[in-house]
Amino acid sequence: MAVSPEERLLNLIIALMHTRVRMTKDDIRASVAGYDRVDDSADEATAKKRKATFERMFERDKDTLRRLGIPVVTVRSQAHGDDIGYRIDPSQATLPPIDFTPSESAVVALAADYWRGAALGADASLAWVKASSRMAHGQAEELPFATAQARLSDAAAALVEAIQLRQAVTFEYASASSGDATRTVQPWRILLSGGADYLVAFDVDREAQRTFRLSRVTSTVKLTGLPGAYEIPTHFPGGLKPAGDTQGEAIVALRPEAGHALRNAGSHAGADGDWDLVTVPYVHRDDLRGQVLALGGAARIVEPQDLRDEVATYAAAALEVAHGRG
Amino acid sequence: MAGDRAVGRVTRLLGIIEYLETQGATDFAELAAHFGVSAAQIEKDVTLLWLSGRPGYSHEDLIDFDGFAFDDKVADLTNAQGLRQVSYSPREAAALIGALSALVATGAAPDAASSALGKLTTVVGSTGVEVVSATEVDPAIRGSLDESIATRHAVELTYVDAHQRRSVRVVEPHRLVAIDGAGYLECYCLRADDYRTLRLDRIESATAVDVMVTHPPAEKLGFSLDAGFAATVRVARAGRWAVEDLPSVELETTDAEVTARFPVADADWAAGRLLAVAPHLRSVEPQELRDALAERAANVLAVHGD
Repeated sequence: MAVSPEERLLNLIIALMHTRVRMTKDDIRASVAGYDRVDDSADEATAKKRKATFERMFERDKDTLRRLGIPVVTVRSQAHGDDIGYRIDPSQATLPPIDFTPSESAVVALAADYWRGAALGADASLAWVKASSRMAHGQAEELPFATAQARLSDAAAALVEAIQLRQAVTFEYASASSGDATRTVQPWRILLSGGADYLVAFDVDREAQRTFRLSRVTSTVKLTGLPGAYEIPTHFPGGLKPAGDTQGEAIVALRPEAGHALRNAGSHAGADGDWDLVTVPYVHRDDLRGQVLALGGAARIVEPQDLRDEVATYAAAALEVAHGRG
Repeated sequence: MAGDRAVGRVTRLLGIIEYLETQGATDFAELAAHFGVSAAQIEKDVTLLWLSGRPGYSHEDLIDFDGFAFDDKVADLTNAQGLRQVSYSPREAAALIGALSALVATGAAPDAASSALGKLTTVVGSTGVEVVSATEVDPAIRGSLDESIATRHAVELTYVDAHQRRSVRVVEPHRLVAIDGAGYLECYCLRADDYRTLRLDRIESATAVDVMVTHPPAEKLGFSLDAGFAATVRVARAGRWAVEDLPSVELETTDAEVTARFPVADADWAAGRLLAVAPHLRSVEPQELRDALAERAANVLAVHGD
């Protein structure tokens, strides 16, 4: 009866865990149930074909073990020419012990479901199967907390893997300041920042740290470098913040009971008739312009004049489009 | 891909071994519920495990179960051949830690999320995913919301809505939710006499009120965030940023422009967002959103015109 791939993989795991020193490919083929053994009665051509089939199957299985999270150690022996042997170190391969409280278990279960259907969603589910292997059934607590499933972009998933493997990647990027270009970078960190995701990486062409907004990656992320080709610094020269812009200060007039976010961000600066005046410092000029526009007439830029003009220009452009003359 | 199926099943097979090693003999039904498969599948899994073992594959080399217990549909592991559940793969660790981090970043997750995240990262190490700026939710406000939810009491909130209007309202809090990276309070608003989903970072104060919660929680997550209509907006690529992170947006990018399709729950709010990239807008559908955009733009011009 043919042995299923799962049974063969289990047999391989158990064999590599129990081997004293190592097992070579020949050892594995000869002794692990599920592989096609050497058949002495076969003619040379058939034997060669079968060997090639075995090699392909074994390479695939090794890759599957890696994806399962099992580190396979390669052991070379000088006594036997330079042939390669393999083993699994049980202490390295075993799930590390973590004592989750019932409410922690519940929230980990929610987290595992958070990316369902998205890239990395399957990985999160598998992580939950592992974590819950040690939890008694029904142990998790009911929480007054729920999540809508979120999407993580394919780009983010590919970059997470590239960071793990320390492998350079290439992608198309739509930059706000310098247009579209192909970027080759060594990914360092993914930053989650209130709904927006960023990549901090070393830009190989620009020879400097750069921060990329993941939503502006317009192509698939291709792994182009060799694994383990760079070190990820423990200290980041440019810090770990999405990049800042120019800074300035504006005076904004606000209708009473309007613009509370701007009021909270700024300081009271008197009144102008019905309007309250507020001095607002800003990091991104775009942000302040956007906030004033969004208030739809309940806010008015007093100064600087050029920002005031911009707001008017934007509103006029919006009117054109709204009237179908865009 | 066949390889993915094998990874999933082997992970469960090792999970069954680990579960039995820690919890002792367990019936198939409980294993089925725990691992989210049918009892028939658990029986197949146990049978497969029973056939696996060390090279030699004589009786003492094989994973072994109690045969009588098996007939009673109970898995009673008597020899695991040293097998245990294996460690998280790098992608699994990153997925779990990343998802937990994202929940913590919303400011809505319970404290257990941070402590679980701490325990995981201590064991697994850095996975390359980090939270840089958690949503700014005042711990005192969060504390009184947690307290009111736990004791089923109403709470008086000062709330600044998406249009930056401040209001004071008494709500019956039900639970905290994380939606699209932001934290919300799901509640029944006694002022509106309807269900509301309020953003945590826009709550300025929260004071417990001596009124018990009487309305049941809404059936559906994020009830009042439901879309009224679907919008399609074409924008030059320079204006992409204003549409790319809209909740549930679908983007289609060509060389010159981006087409964004997204559900609109609040036309005024969506219009406000579009104004921020007005010079880059190419077209806005439907009429309802164009009207909201025209009205806001006209009001802005009225106060900024000379």
